[in-house]
Amino acid sequence: MVRESSGHARAVEAVKPALTSYKPARWREPALGLLLASPPVVVVLLLIALPAVQAALFSLGQVPQDNAAYSTGMHLVSSPTLTLAVYRDLLSSPFFRADIKLTAVVTVWSVVLTLLIGYVLSLYVRFASGRLPTAVRSLYLLPMFVPVVIASYALITFYVDRGQLQALLHAAGLGYKPVIYRATGIIIGQVWANIPFAVLMLGSGLDGIPQELVEAAQDVGASPWRILWRIVVPLNIVPALIVLTFTFIGVVGSFTIPFLLGPNAPQMLGVAMNAYFTSYQQPQAAAAMAVMAFLACAVAGGLYVWGTSRTGRTV
Amino acid sequence: MAKSWFLGVPELRRALGVILVLALGLFLLLPLLTMVVWAFADVWRYPHLLPSSYSLRWWSWVFHNGNMTKAIFWSLTTAPVVTLLSAVICLPAAYSFSRLNFPGRRFFFISLLAANAFPKFGLYISIATLFFRLNLINTFWGVVFIQMINTLVVMTWIPAAGFDSVPRELEEAGRDSGAGPFRVFWRITLPIAMPALIVGGILAFLAAFDEAQGTFIVGAPRITTMPVLMYTLVTNYPEPASAVFSILLAVPSLVLLLIARRFLLAGYLAAGFKGR
Repeated sequence: MVRESSGHARAVEAVKPALTSYKPARWREPALGLLLASPPVVVVLLLIALPAVQAALFSLGQVPQDNAAYSTGMHLVSSPTLTLAVYRDLLSSPFFRADIKLTAVVTVWSVVLTLLIGYVLSLYVRFASGRLPTAVRSLYLLPMFVPVVIASYALITFYVDRGQLQALLHAAGLGYKPVIYRATGIIIGQVWANIPFAVLMLGSGLDGIPQELVEAAQDVGASPWRILWRIVVPLNIVPALIVLTFTFIGVVGSFTIPFLLGPNAPQMLGVAMNAYFTSYQQPQAAAAMAVMAFLACAVAGGLYVWGTSRTGRTV
Repeated sequence: MAKSWFLGVPELRRALGVILVLALGLFLLLPLLTMVVWAFADVWRYPHLLPSSYSLRWWSWVFHNGNMTKAIFWSLTTAPVVTLLSAVICLPAAYSFSRLNFPGRRFFFISLLAANAFPKFGLYISIATLFFRLNLINTFWGVVFIQMINTLVVMTWIPAAGFDSVPRELEEAGRDSGAGPFRVFWRITLPIAMPALIVGGILAFLAAFDEAQGTFIVGAPRITTMPVLMYTLVTNYPEPASAVFSILLAVPSLVLLLIARRFLLAGYLAAGFKGR
């Protein structure tokens, strides 16, 4: 609480001169706006931005002596100037390169599959009639409300070697190729967990496509596929971009799903970060990984900013 | 009829729909169902499709285990407090982002995304150091603050979209009929925006309730919430113990699902993420 109220105080200090030295009517709205908007921004500044800058500087060779968690690490690179040595060491390690590769593969597959399945489902819910679409609407929300550690556990009991899926396939006389503790297991978990957000976003975008437009295209004899590619997909590009961005950010930074469903080696970045910090006692390498993951997420975030600003608030 | 354009033949379309729904349903539900059966299983060996014997002993084990009741207590106290605190911090900001014009509005709005984009583990270490200096390690409020990070985006963006959806004409009509600005806000703006506020609040609660990594770093060993304990259970205890605990852990979330379903489907979440 102390930090938030001091943030308030600082914001008040910042806007005070504005309030006194100019016409109040002109400055009241911006001042009030900044004041009201500042609390969550101050929290982000204190709990995200400052620690992030600290971690980034640490990864570049600036070891803070007053931070025992950092200064007692092993294999410390300490330099008076900024250095990329930590990154060079990491990237030259074949084990870490395998971690990066796994992260990339899992992220791409998870994003593509989530987008694809989300699209098919939202198209079905939007354009099919009857009672089934209503049932689907309730069903796809479910993963959003199941804590991710439980979801991971449930997926393990189902997909694990000699688990329920293998038993079902065995009863049907079919074979089974195990997926848990492999990259496939992580992808299944990510898709499972990310479906609700994808369908909610894409479905809401589809609801905004005017029915008359679709009917007009039908009237001039356009095939369903043509309508999909030439009208529905282009008009729904921003929600798709949002799904892409947020699924990407979620998967790259994820811990629970790859920790419980993934292999012991290689590991995804989130799990490797944890291992380097706690098991290998190399906080500097962990910080460098966090920075790399953040840079990847920042690119995705830039895509989001670009996509949502291009169309403004009309969508 | 107009709705059914996307596949020409009605029978084919219906069959495809049924297959699709069935596949999705199995994909989403079968793992959860398997887990529910495990919670009541005594002996269940591959390749049997159902347990050979059932038992409730893991239920009594969970309820008589001190760690479990402690974790349930901490989860059910931290998450609601996080949600309330997050509402106090974020809702005025949401109103401001929606209704007031100020320099840097778009920048500050998007800057909240940083809370989602920086890998949490890279931060928890620095945050833990900061909390150590502030004597927040191993305290209730330390856990509350760390869990709150995950709630900022949903608690600001979605309610902001809710305030966007309130027609200005209604507010102006209220003012014209002599109501003061606070009266207009309480009687017109707030009730119309309320569903979006509820969606934001529910998603914030879920985010706090679900948080395990930061809670472990800041709260352990005194404050362990249910997801934190779940990690230990999954790795160290037989299947039924985790299954029983999972069901208990899922109950509050599923109650929220029933409450929030209607509001979520009304598109408030999507509106919140569409930027400004």
